[in-house]
Amino acid sequence: MDPIILVLILVSAVIGGMMASLGVHLLPVGGAPAAMATATGVATGCVMLMTGSALTGLFTASAVASFWEFEHANIGLVALSGGVGAMLMIGWTMLVANLLYVFGAGIVPVSGRVAVDPITKESQTEYKTPRTDGHGMPNVSYISGIAGGFVGGFGGALIYVTLENYAHFSPATAGIVAIGIFIANAILAAYNIGGTIEGFHDPKFKERIAVGLFAAFTVSLLCGILVVVATLVFPYLGLGGAL
Amino acid sequence: MGEEEKAEEKPKEKFTLHFPTENNLSIMGIVVGALVAILPWLPAIVKGVGAIVVILWGADCVRKTARYGLGTGVPSIGVLAMGYGLVGGITGIVIGSVPVLYGVGIVEPAVLIGVAAVGAVGYISGILANSEKFIGMKIPGLERGMAELGMAGALAVIIESSMIAGTWNASVVIPNIIENGVIATIFILSGFGMLQPFNSCLGADERRGRTLLVSVEIGGLCCIIFGVVASLMPAPSGILQGIQLIILGVIVWILFYSSYVRACLREAHAVVGTGLIKTMR
Repeated sequence: MDPIILVLILVSAVIGGMMASLGVHLLPVGGAPAAMATATGVATGCVMLMTGSALTGLFTASAVASFWEFEHANIGLVALSGGVGAMLMIGWTMLVANLLYVFGAGIVPVSGRVAVDPITKESQTEYKTPRTDGHGMPNVSYISGIAGGFVGGFGGALIYVTLENYAHFSPATAGIVAIGIFIANAILAAYNIGGTIEGFHDPKFKERIAVGLFAAFTVSLLCGILVVVATLVFPYLGLGGAL
Repeated sequence: MGEEEKAEEKPKEKFTLHFPTENNLSIMGIVVGALVAILPWLPAIVKGVGAIVVILWGADCVRKTARYGLGTGVPSIGVLAMGYGLVGGITGIVIGSVPVLYGVGIVEPAVLIGVAAVGAVGYISGILANSEKFIGMKIPGLERGMAELGMAGALAVIIESSMIAGTWNASVVIPNIIENGVIATIFILSGFGMLQPFNSCLGADERRGRTLLVSVEIGGLCCIIFGVVASLMPAPSGILQGIQLIILGVIVWILFYSSYVRACLREAHAVVGTGLIKTMR
């Protein structure tokens, strides 16, 4: 197989994995404390949020890729549609969680880590219940989460479409391998965050993002090498068709 | 069939009392998993036992890494295992199916290349996660745990694919397991077998023997579900292989679920009925 294509597969696996990691760092993840509305974010772990949104992204991406003939999809459009699908999913999740917090628990969405919302300049501290770490999704966390969904979904769909277009994987195999690489990166990013994060305005984001991206780079490079080996070997099976 | 059932029942007494130690269970998982993986002509019931052992090994690895607290919940590390398992398992299946390496006859060891590779990836990611210079999770033995989890995940994907399709050769597995989405069932059911035991049993009074009973029980449930799937598959799998798996799964599930419930009742301070469900005593 053409060496340029192999490099392209490797590069897209690395970029996709790093985007998955960046996406996880941008999400407002509340974990267990958010279930009691004592921390900002959605009340579940990074992995659940990112996997849910990225799988939706993969569905929209594969639906869009099916408009082209096999192996001739437009990479940019398919990856963008993956980003939009993931964005919609995480957006709905955060909206419904906010509705539950506001009308069910009776609390105001407020950030616990910053005194003033960096985007809308609204004051936060007065609305925060003492001894809690914020509640719900304030505007800045919501916007950060939408951006995180877009970046993560774009990365996952990029791995998918490159595997389908250039490595000649069938849509099903490309999807399942993309999920494998994506999940490994998302979970390492979750360990890097270590529980909860509010979004890009959280001091933790600046502190940890470099390490997280480096870990994602290494792991996706190794997974990419495995995929390239499988791609190289496949034509020698004499099966014809796509992996 | 009768002999194999008896062979299944024998380890019950030993297992319910004491599982092998962590190191021995790892060795047992690697040896049994590798043996079952490189002998794709074995009957489905033996592969089912292999899958149960591999899931048990994975659950023990989840337990020994997650008991220090991961910060993101126990399920994450089980899903990580299966994420690596998908990449490593599919790579192994493809490498192992190369005609030069495959078809030497009885033993096809090339599939283990994928397992070993994903073990190395897991070890490196464990170093990244544990080292002070990088993520800094400071969990003792995380490197080894992640390597073992990656290998257990890859072995689970390979063994369960060959359980359902009859062989793990790519010419059968790709149309019969991957294209139709059965791989997603393999992914989440093996993931549950590994992550669910410790996730449901964790706490101050968690006991290793009791936690691992849940893992074997979920392995039995997996065998039942994969047996149903296998009986719908074309040759070399089929109804005969499927029924073997269902019988194995039902026996294992009944034995281990009842012994788990008995262990819970015995070790609880008190069992009080709510009146909604008839309690056992």
